[in-house]
Amino acid sequence: MSTAEASTPGGGTRPSSPPALRLRGLVKRFGETLAVDSLDLDIPAGSMFGVVGPNGAGKTTTLSMATGLLAPDAGTVEVLGVDLWREPARAKPLLGVLPDGLRVFDRLTGAELISYAGLLRGMPQDVIAERRDDLLSALDLHGAARTLVADFSAGMSKKITLACALVHAPRLLVLDEPFEAVDPVSAGVIRRILGEFVEQGGTVVLSSHVMALVERMCDHVAVIGAGRVLAAGALDEVRAGIELEERFFDLLGAKGPEAGLSWLRPS
Amino acid sequence: MVAAVVALKLRLLRNTMSRELWRVILFVLGALWALSMLPGLLGGARWLSGQELLVQRPAVVIVGTVLLLGWLVIPVLMFGADETVTPRKFATLGLDPRRLAPALVVAAMLSVPAVFAAFVNLANVVVWSGYGAPTTAIALLSAPAGFLTCVLAARVSTGLATRLLSSRRARKVAAALAVGALVLLVPFLLALGAAGLENVLAGLPELARVLAFTPFGAAWAAPSYAAEGSWVAAGGHLLLAWGWVGAGLLLWISQVDGLLVDPPSTVGASRRRADAFLESASGPPVLRATAAVARRSLRYWFGDPRYLSALASTLLLPLLIALLLTVVGAREVSGWVLLAPLVAGAVGWGRHNDTAFDGTAFWMHVSAGVPGVADRAGRALALAAWAVPLVLVLALGGVSLAGREELLGAAVGLALGLFGAGLGVAMVSSVLLPYPAPRAGESPFATETGSVGASLVAQLISTTVTGVLAIPVTILFWLAVTREEGFALATLLVGVLGGTATLVGGVVLGGRLLDARGAQLLSRLR
Repeated sequence: MSTAEASTPGGGTRPSSPPALRLRGLVKRFGETLAVDSLDLDIPAGSMFGVVGPNGAGKTTTLSMATGLLAPDAGTVEVLGVDLWREPARAKPLLGVLPDGLRVFDRLTGAELISYAGLLRGMPQDVIAERRDDLLSALDLHGAARTLVADFSAGMSKKITLACALVHAPRLLVLDEPFEAVDPVSAGVIRRILGEFVEQGGTVVLSSHVMALVERMCDHVAVIGAGRVLAAGALDEVRAGIELEERFFDLLGAKGPEAGLSWLRPS
Repeated sequence: MVAAVVALKLRLLRNTMSRELWRVILFVLGALWALSMLPGLLGGARWLSGQELLVQRPAVVIVGTVLLLGWLVIPVLMFGADETVTPRKFATLGLDPRRLAPALVVAAMLSVPAVFAAFVNLANVVVWSGYGAPTTAIALLSAPAGFLTCVLAARVSTGLATRLLSSRRARKVAAALAVGALVLLVPFLLALGAAGLENVLAGLPELARVLAFTPFGAAWAAPSYAAEGSWVAAGGHLLLAWGWVGAGLLLWISQVDGLLVDPPSTVGASRRRADAFLESASGPPVLRATAAVARRSLRYWFGDPRYLSALASTLLLPLLIALLLTVVGAREVSGWVLLAPLVAGAVGWGRHNDTAFDGTAFWMHVSAGVPGVADRAGRALALAAWAVPLVLVLALGGVSLAGREELLGAAVGLALGLFGAGLGVAMVSSVLLPYPAPRAGESPFATETGSVGASLVAQLISTTVTGVLAIPVTILFWLAVTREEGFALATLLVGVLGGTATLVGGVVLGGRLLDARGAQLLSRLR
């Protein structure tokens, strides 16, 4: 692994303002397993930041701790300079979260779930109503507005949860696998919404398994393996002249599929 | 096949036990309980063997009937408590159901209840051993049939429940039926009480004769015919008992076949409705969040079968106690007066695992930073909105039925006191002691594997604290019932004020705890 890159996390484009997300010394242990091993990461404000890593690298655990959904064993999380775990009431309004693998209240309709998310944050009704309708049409969910979320497909659930993450107009979006199970048309819509959000000064952190997608969308990237940051910074720095996928294999010390299954040959 | 499935079950049991100490403790406690029942069982059988045939046959047939009823019903209610090896999990393997189904039955025998059932069936041999070798032989041949009937009954009833509960609408209907069945129990038990114990007992021999032809009594009654010398009837009932086993096995094989080929799906028709959430909320942000949580909880109370079935199981005990007191006829007070307080306490305390019913969807509250007090208050309001009116109606109905209208104030006071104490405790314990609840969309009767220990601890602690908090109002109520009516007013005052105070205290304390431990709580939910 390359310690030079790991020791300069992020690659702040605007050094004067605090990073959108600043993780220091994050540790999480599940029984015997060390899932996240004193992880440091800076995510510069205004960036579209991709987090990649193999299964079990600690991506979801890290993002859960960074968004207040999982208490870290040690370390700090700062959202735009506010300590998330010390001052949650100040930090959480700045954050929009799309977790992976968590349910939503699926006895509510699509429209109701967005309203619920807004009301939980204490927003006024008229503002919620306006944004709810905007979000439903932007994410092409109008047909699903009056249907119970329990009857949604996986991709629709993802989109409605994203809508819930956006309704309070956060400044930092943390999205865990936002494109999983989403069809190409919806993925394009989501990419456009996120792009506009970043153009207007917002920050997006997203995790993905799909290197090509991260390479196309993100301007910054972090490679996580075994609970640590193996490399982080601007996309071109991290890829160092080769494709992200190759660099990814280099960093993990993994080889491509070499040991094939010789017997698996349908004649 | 049998060896493979049995080995699989043992391996799964060992793995869960090595992961959760509670499973081990519970297993040991269960085994000890079963062992401790053996002397009583043996003693009972010995005693029965000295009785007349007129007593013996109805007695063993009733024992057999109760045992089989238990094996039919309890596995469905505890659905998922032992889901180590279910046919569904073999669906992808392409196995022959005629070989898999018997293997699953053998694997199902490896449990404390099954071993206990085997002992109960063997006790029947002890009862008939005094009638000579041929009768004992019949008893020895019929006991395994009785045991196999029990094990098969549990398989068939859970298989049937899996099938019936596979659609969301069916689950809702089943939960509503469970509540309805509880209510229907009332007139039945009343009729039983009205008929008088002697009349019921006089009818038992005839009842046993009929039950002897069914799976409930065939294996148990067979030796009794041998004992009176009617060998044809004995042989016939023995054959019948094994015939029922065969029928059960065929039914089970066809169910396994069905479950392997067409696993139950969870997809239902979609429903539509307009956004009902926005109108209700006004006022400052905290109140908006509270109103939203309350409205969401209410939606779940009337839209999620898990809540209905939780309600049914919490109502079971108070209804039975009230009925028992009414039928038996306690000297001081009719059971009807106690109906409202018992229901109120059970309903309030019943939410002691409320947060776990959200499952991981609770992340929305954590992520939004909902103030803990708003979260708790919303949940409490949703319950109180329908439970308090219900309790008041029950109190009024109860004292009228008992003809003790002067006790209305006392009954209302005790009811609201217990409701407030139970719900207040629930508001705290559902933060501190969550245990796995069935997930949304699962069978409402499901309990998570491995949750029994944690649930027992949570229930024990929350019951104890509720009981302690309710001591003052309970004493006053007792005085109002036994001494003089003047205490009724005091009960009402103390109940309303104390109930409110404990509820508000629970909401505030639970809210503070939630503020501090929201994320920890979330990671314990499934």
